[in-house]
Amino acid sequence: MTDHKVRQRHGIQVMEPPDSVQNAPILDEKKTIGQTKTNTKKRIVSNSALAILTLLSFITRFWKIDHPHQVVFDEVHFGKFASYYLKRTYYFDVHPPLAKLMLAGIGLFLGYDGHFEFDNIGDDYITNDVPYIGLRSLPAALGALLVPLTYMIMVESGYPIITAILAAGLVLFDNALICQTRLILLDSMLVFFMLCTFYCYIRFYKYRLREFSNEWWVWMIASGVTLGLTLSVKLVGLFTVLTIGIAVIVDLWNLLDIKRGLTMEHFKKHFYARVIGLIIVPILVYLFWFYLHFAILNTSGPGDSFMSPAFQETLQGNVMSLESLEIRFNDTITLKHKSTSVFLHSHFERYPLRYNDGRISSQGQQVTGYKFEDTNNYWLIKPAKIFIDPSRPEDDFVKHGDYILLEHINTESHLLTHDVASPLMPTNQEFTTMPKDDDSRYNETVFQVLIDDGDSDTKWKTKSSYIRLIHFDTKVALWTHDKLLPEWAFKQQEINGNKNNVEKSNIWIADQIVGKNVTKPLTPEPPKRRLPFFAKFFELQRLMLSHNSGLTKPHPYSSTPVNWPFLVRGISFWTNNDDKEQIYLLGNPFTWWISVGAMAVLVGVLSADLISRRRAIHPISEPVRNRLLNSGLFFFMAWFIHYAPFYLMGRSLFLHHYLPALICSYMVAAVVFNFMFVDSVNYPISVTGPRKAPRIVAKAVVRDITVISCTILLTISACVFYYFSPLTYGTPGIEPAGIRNRMWLDSWDLHFQPKRHDA
Amino acid sequence: MDTLKRRHFATTINQQQFSKSGYEQVPLDPIDFDENGKLYKPLRLPENKVILAFWQQYNDILIPAFFTVLSFWTRFYLISYSSFVVWDEAHFGKFGSHYLKREFYFDVHPPLGKMLVGLAGLLAGYNGSFEFGSGEPYPADVNYAFMRIFFASFGAWMVPLAYFTAIELDFSQHAVILATLMVLLDTAYLCISRFILLDSMLLFFTFTTLFFLTKFHNQRYNSFSIDWWLWLILTGMSIGCVTSVKWVGLFVTALVGLYTIEDLWDKFGDLSMPKTVYLKHWIARIVCLIILPIQIYMLCFAIHFAILHRSGPGDAQMSSLFQAGLHGNNFYGNPIDLAYGSKFTLKNMGYGGGLLHSHVQTYPSGSKQQQVTCYHHRDANNDWFIKKIREESEENEEENNSTDVEFVKHNDVVRLVHSSTGRNLHSHQVNAPVTKSQFEVSCYGNKKLGDQNDYWIIEVIDDLLENTPRIRAMTTRLRFRHKILGCYLRAANAVLPQWGFKQIEVTCDKKNNPSDSFTHWNVEHHWNDKLPPGGSSHYRTLFLHDFWHLNVAMYTSNNALIPDPDKEDILASHPLQWPLLQVGIRICGWDDKAVKYYLLGNPIVWWSGTASLVMFVFLFVWHLIRRQRQFHDFSQAQWTHFLYVGKICLIGWLLHFMPFFIMGRVTYLHHYFPALYFSILMCAFVLDHLTSSCNQITKHIVFGISYLAVILVFWYFKDIAFGFDYPSSELKGRQWVSSWNLVD
Repeated sequence: MTDHKVRQRHGIQVMEPPDSVQNAPILDEKKTIGQTKTNTKKRIVSNSALAILTLLSFITRFWKIDHPHQVVFDEVHFGKFASYYLKRTYYFDVHPPLAKLMLAGIGLFLGYDGHFEFDNIGDDYITNDVPYIGLRSLPAALGALLVPLTYMIMVESGYPIITAILAAGLVLFDNALICQTRLILLDSMLVFFMLCTFYCYIRFYKYRLREFSNEWWVWMIASGVTLGLTLSVKLVGLFTVLTIGIAVIVDLWNLLDIKRGLTMEHFKKHFYARVIGLIIVPILVYLFWFYLHFAILNTSGPGDSFMSPAFQETLQGNVMSLESLEIRFNDTITLKHKSTSVFLHSHFERYPLRYNDGRISSQGQQVTGYKFEDTNNYWLIKPAKIFIDPSRPEDDFVKHGDYILLEHINTESHLLTHDVASPLMPTNQEFTTMPKDDDSRYNETVFQVLIDDGDSDTKWKTKSSYIRLIHFDTKVALWTHDKLLPEWAFKQQEINGNKNNVEKSNIWIADQIVGKNVTKPLTPEPPKRRLPFFAKFFELQRLMLSHNSGLTKPHPYSSTPVNWPFLVRGISFWTNNDDKEQIYLLGNPFTWWISVGAMAVLVGVLSADLISRRRAIHPISEPVRNRLLNSGLFFFMAWFIHYAPFYLMGRSLFLHHYLPALICSYMVAAVVFNFMFVDSVNYPISVTGPRKAPRIVAKAVVRDITVISCTILLTISACVFYYFSPLTYGTPGIEPAGIRNRMWLDSWDLHFQPKRHDA
Repeated sequence: MDTLKRRHFATTINQQQFSKSGYEQVPLDPIDFDENGKLYKPLRLPENKVILAFWQQYNDILIPAFFTVLSFWTRFYLISYSSFVVWDEAHFGKFGSHYLKREFYFDVHPPLGKMLVGLAGLLAGYNGSFEFGSGEPYPADVNYAFMRIFFASFGAWMVPLAYFTAIELDFSQHAVILATLMVLLDTAYLCISRFILLDSMLLFFTFTTLFFLTKFHNQRYNSFSIDWWLWLILTGMSIGCVTSVKWVGLFVTALVGLYTIEDLWDKFGDLSMPKTVYLKHWIARIVCLIILPIQIYMLCFAIHFAILHRSGPGDAQMSSLFQAGLHGNNFYGNPIDLAYGSKFTLKNMGYGGGLLHSHVQTYPSGSKQQQVTCYHHRDANNDWFIKKIREESEENEEENNSTDVEFVKHNDVVRLVHSSTGRNLHSHQVNAPVTKSQFEVSCYGNKKLGDQNDYWIIEVIDDLLENTPRIRAMTTRLRFRHKILGCYLRAANAVLPQWGFKQIEVTCDKKNNPSDSFTHWNVEHHWNDKLPPGGSSHYRTLFLHDFWHLNVAMYTSNNALIPDPDKEDILASHPLQWPLLQVGIRICGWDDKAVKYYLLGNPIVWWSGTASLVMFVFLFVWHLIRRQRQFHDFSQAQWTHFLYVGKICLIGWLLHFMPFFIMGRVTYLHHYFPALYFSILMCAFVLDHLTSSCNQITKHIVFGISYLAVILVFWYFKDIAFGFDYPSSELKGRQWVSSWNLVD
């Protein structure tokens, strides 16, 4: 049975990725001289269109790339990360390493040594001697390549040149894409690799009739590699994986259909080929960048404290590996609270009998948190005799789960907590001390040492062990928070007993053992420990995910996904008050709004078609409909998958998260344009297979109206782009009146707005 | 029950024969009758077959009857064992009391369930005087046992409903019994049904909705017949009831909605159906499944308003006019016209609006000045003074004691002074904490200290009674425009985080939108010694307005029930912990001597339910692949039925489970109970499906083992649902999962 008949029979192969173009190689086989001529001509037109678009794209992306010579918006982060690679100091970020490695690579190439910290927006590059133009040119170049890539994707998907020009033109004139991709940010790499993935997958799919041929394998592996690269830039790449995944499943589902005539053995071959090419290859690519990441970052740096103690010990020059000492019973130590960095402290003064709110205290000795070194921070660790195996030596190591007493050296009293409300929090327990010769409340002075991730053999070490002190009697944890006690406690920090003893803020660290010093070696010691790659890898993945969802700190320019397609609000990246210059991330309102409109039209057309088919009416011809479903729906799905999941995310979101989806929406816009202004479609577009069955050939008809409307659309886009370009390039400055004119929506909070008149 | 019985028998004469002539002479089968019903070959049975014959004839009544009896017995057994207020009885009992005392209260749930609490209390002779403090003993005059029995009987009917639903879903006898047993012997269903809680009612109406829906589905070939209409209408009524108990009922409503949409879509493709008939199908469903439930929902609110005609703790949630209509409020003492120096409260007129409020706590970000919020409860911090601007008031300071009264007029520039802190209502060019596009409103300065940013211009929009330049308490709609910034004071139900105590954010809106009701305010309470009290006037409000207002308020409060990141609620759990029953709830004090209940499902029921959902997905994909390869294991009808039951159970489960992931609010284990029902049905269905090709003996064995497992595990865990008064440490062996906190 021929492929064509299959398609006719159950033509609705929803979301099957697009076939390809009536490009030269296919029609060459027709061997008609006239056709070859027109094809050569077409190829020239196509290539020159591609060349012109690429040129324009590079011009728009690189125009005044040296402006401003200051740190802009998130360059603060990503420039900094590139510097860390060059200095090889360990850092932590929620994004995978590839894009930052690329930036570092460019930096290395330009001879930049990573000395600049990118601390604040507005820091000057020139005075700090940073090759920022070189660093920016990488994202800008990739950003410029988005235009030709879009063009080629459309051409490969079987659309006439005019449609491809429209799609590429919309990308070309988008202010947001230009603004975001010409700065040291990750999005241009992300979108670039995403488009590469689509391109490769479409090429692969066009070889479906030549299964397991060399080209077939090459393009599939290429899709897998680019998929892996996308994922290695940002985890948003998972949406691209999902998009391709769905396309693959639909494809496999059709192959499975018995009417295709494939045996199960044959089908399995297809299945395993895709498992290798589109699952294993991307995973290997993803792992590779992390391998490189760990290999490069071998020195202790700002990211240390995010990682587990075991991980930190693998880094060169880490405090933990250098200064950590094992603690024994009868050592005198200082205890530091991890998140607020105060020492556990006590002094002779007592709690006042009555607090301001009328509650009553135990009038015991104060226990507080103190920020500075002081002998009142010294505590002696004693074994709680009845709980400790008597056979252990007097000065045995303190281990996970041991019960101890803490004696305050200066006042000779034991730390104690009891069921009395603390001075500031009625819900938490008060801490105080008991003279050490008073055994009457012995049980209330016993605490258990629990080391994070410890087992019964884990020894308690200074600096590197995270411990919780759990009260034996009441099970509360020693805790403090940044509220200060009043004058009667010298404004020191309150210490109290937290009933929720698993909270992260219960962590304390033994800072030092009094009288024992570490002899510091003069040369940096090699790391004390090695961890297998996968242990590091999974620890980092876990942290990336949890920190990513933890990025909920409100930001003045964060926005909700529902605003994005309609361009309700932009982001202020940078301002210069002297010349009234500003960079404000804002899309080209015209192209954004027509792409949203186009998607609405697509949904409308497809629903109308669905409904009328239910009543046995077929308003759209079969080839046009197939193309609309296969290619249009694929782009629409890509848009949807790169957009909708943001609604489920709790983290703070920004307009630039929409950019991958935006490119997809431009392709949808071009598809809808094609549906409205071009008659029929180019068909078939897949590379013909070995079995040469007769195939119906259809050709797209481009009319004058098509060219005219495309020209009109692109002209308007270009004008709107030009009008808003001062906000994109940050120059020239605009006077308040000009700002007011450009505020098409009130919600665009541009700077330098004219002063509001009093109503 | 009677109609059910009849349908399964060929004749009714048969039964009369039974009752008249005793069992011995009874023929076994209707074949013994000819067309005219004439008995022509009386068959005599041997004695030992009589019981069998009786069983065969009556088993479809006896089995459900048996389970129903068991159900009532388990639900009522030892129901008054704990004579203390257990868990949320504290809430719902209190709401019941409000109905008996007829005081207006406010709660996030719709009123039907709580009105039934009130009814139960009424029937029990309870007078509404008990406070229902959590963990307190019931006084002798509160017949709490009766009230609990009232709710337990709702819970008890779940069992027969499950039985007949399973029958309507065309399960085998084995599977029907399994589903019934699992509902009967789930400790969580049992435990939650035994107290004065809304959940037993929510579950009951969820069960009835599904039952009526399956009944309706089985009438699909008898469109517009009496039965068809009956079950359709009952489905609609059931939807109305379930959503009137808790909004969670919307999930089962969504299931009915999806079923209906699919049904109508199928009919849309039926080209042989005349268009008028198709239209009739639409109209029937719109009337029965949309209009009818909404009517029931609104009726509940109408009754709610009718019963609660006295002023009570929930007043402040409602509009000032509504409050004025309640008996026992003190508005009639308000002087009518607002004058300088008056003390007053300011009510936002948007749906769900509260009273302008401030307290000593400051904004943690932005200006770090004193917070200004909207608050829904009575509080001295809601009181404000209206003062002249500083430039004018300096001179008037001494005249304060005089009796001169100057009324506030339209377009006056004024200062609003917070009564308890003495600070001025203030706004400035600082972004508001939540609605970032608007300006923050704070309280700043004091009597002396302050600036032009404390000045507001009063704009009168209109007055409900008569047009007057003065400002009348209750009836005049006002807006406050900031003198410098030109923005309008607004409170639009945006909830502040924990630092603002989940109160409503107040902002200054740069947009001038006269029709935005969230910028409209009215004076509610008004005190001024120099003015005579106004007379009591009878204001009337529209039911629809109050209804909508209350629903918006419920929605806002519900959204504010978000987990507090600083505190860990030991009772709360994450939805992911539910399907595998990784969490239980101690619903009362855990003292060794006290009667204790532990809200925990029957592990075997929960785990097999979840497993069967996964199993179904695999089975579905498996059959789909088989069909793609042209292996047809089913007839078309069987396949359709497989899909129908699968869709009902799986989508029903998803609809009752997934929304909890999206919801920001704090979630508890008992939110999973409606979803559990669908997993139970799925479990019976999947087991049925897997054994469909086995012979009878294998089926007996497989199902026998399942019954036994459910029964034994229930028996092992029964004390946690019936209550136990021995130390929990004796249940150590039952701590199957380490995250249960059954034992310390």
